[in-house]
Amino acid sequence: MFHPPVFHKVLIANRGEIALRILRACREMGVLSVAVHSTADANAMHVRLADESICIGPPAASESYLNAAAILTAATICNAEAIHPGYGFLAENADFAAMVEEHGIAFIGPAPEHIRLMGDKVAAKRVCREAGIPVVPGSDGPVESEDQARAVADDIGYPVLVKAAAGGGGRGMKVVNGPDELADALSTARSEAVAAFGNGELYLEKYLARPRHIEVQILADLHGNVVHLGERDCSVQRRHQKVVEEAPSPALSPAQRREIGRVATTAVKRFGYRNAGTFEFLYEDGKFYFIEMNTRLQVEHPVTEMVCGLDLVREMLRVASGAPLGYGQKDIKINGHAIECRINAENPETFASSPGRVGDYHAPGGLGVRVDSALYSGYMVPPYYDSMIAKLIVHGNNRNDCRMRLVHALREYVIDGIETTIPLHQRLLEAPRFIAGDYDVHWLEKFVRGEN
Amino acid sequence: MTTSSKKPSVNTKIVRELAALLNETGLTEIEYGCGDLRVRVAKTVAPTSVTVAAPTPAAVRSGAAGGEVDAVADHPGLVTSPMVGVVYTSAEPEAPPFVKVGDMVAVGDTILLIEAMKVFNPIKAPHSGRVQQVFVANGTPVEYGEPLMIIE
Repeated sequence: MFHPPVFHKVLIANRGEIALRILRACREMGVLSVAVHSTADANAMHVRLADESICIGPPAASESYLNAAAILTAATICNAEAIHPGYGFLAENADFAAMVEEHGIAFIGPAPEHIRLMGDKVAAKRVCREAGIPVVPGSDGPVESEDQARAVADDIGYPVLVKAAAGGGGRGMKVVNGPDELADALSTARSEAVAAFGNGELYLEKYLARPRHIEVQILADLHGNVVHLGERDCSVQRRHQKVVEEAPSPALSPAQRREIGRVATTAVKRFGYRNAGTFEFLYEDGKFYFIEMNTRLQVEHPVTEMVCGLDLVREMLRVASGAPLGYGQKDIKINGHAIECRINAENPETFASSPGRVGDYHAPGGLGVRVDSALYSGYMVPPYYDSMIAKLIVHGNNRNDCRMRLVHALREYVIDGIETTIPLHQRLLEAPRFIAGDYDVHWLEKFVRGEN
Repeated sequence: MTTSSKKPSVNTKIVRELAALLNETGLTEIEYGCGDLRVRVAKTVAPTSVTVAAPTPAAVRSGAAGGEVDAVADHPGLVTSPMVGVVYTSAEPEAPPFVKVGDMVAVGDTILLIEAMKVFNPIKAPHSGRVQQVFVANGTPVEYGEPLMIIE
């Protein structure tokens, strides 16, 4: 069978560690790389290492890394055949993906229509439910009366969440623990919603008190072949930002993994989705509830790579070029355990950001230790972008070996000159609840407040 | 790699002695251990010559900018590119260039076109004066911030 060659030259439309991550995959495959960067990143590692680099704008992301016209112009000037968007910035911008394809350049990711569909949270939930993916049960639309709300709540079971249809970011939500609280919650939520959003429409959802965040990685080629690469547990979060991720999840059995993987791959085949993607779920009491689908490479993809022995960026390039996966689900084996710590340039207690010049820099090493970072000694961490400066990913034969190795790797890691969250990771890895794998999405916030 | 001890009070005597020893011997770093106490004193010889282990910029810049441009980076009359794109020095292939060295230009005069996404963007003179130098040739790609010309 004829396999089209993978691309000759790829433009990396991102910065920081992920730009370097993509560049490394390109190098290993013999693909030329083009770095596009803002003036603030002229001395960035990926810019130094790229085969070509083009400055596309001033420090503000809106005028550089989010500037679709500048990126496409750069791609055209240097004759790039494909663009890898990384994560963040334009990675889930359907219009950008469509523009890239209109220019005859391959977008290393899913089709624009799938990005658009999954970007609409209401439509995404509907198509996923239709494809057999479990979603959070609820009223599936506005509730008109107290009687209707009562019927829905009885059906899905208490506690339930009353949400404003126009709400967001936690506003206009009320937790109802039992039937006697329902009437009050409805009237308060309705008046709050009218005041805050000018729209009193409410709907009901099952309230999950102690959910875990578990997500399933999938990979699909252009020929209908789909595999899942198991799950990642990303429940250790602060302000909805993931802090530590691990694979496999301490909460899932092999049978549960197979089942949610089967459900996810079936849905992906039905959608006709291509390239890498992730189904994010809340998980409580043995049940999965779909939250959203991420149509891109994720920050925490290395934990999956470490346990599957697969290079996800390489696979993304291959399938985007039209190559078939070349392996099936039975070939995917989960080996050992991997944990990733996201290291931010922040004070480990106040979380105030700490940009500045890196002094001495020493990355940990040894068997099973991986550092994905664009830092180097003397590097200036610019204040304009995300505070994540490094990912420390450790693999071990089992969860405890992995954790012990990670504890030591964190001790070896030296990043002088700026404050980092390494001390927070050192503390949380020794917490009894983390050691036991017994945590949910609220655990870290309580831990940081000193509650457990 | 933890070098600081968690002892409540600092034994300044040891530090002073080690610091004196550092200067006396011309060393840049001394690490001293006694029991569970560990002290490391170090000095930076020349703070400006920090060794950067990272590779030197070997990347091929797509623009035409060379060494001569670096020398004029701070020139008050410098006009830099506001976008990435391809430079056109005249309105049409056969037409005369918008400006050439020695011309007088007024604020707002079109000095170049830069094509980005099939749109030709007129680049206007930000200040008036005489064109001293032009760094870009017709049809060459430019980066954001790349020097275009000097008008003074």
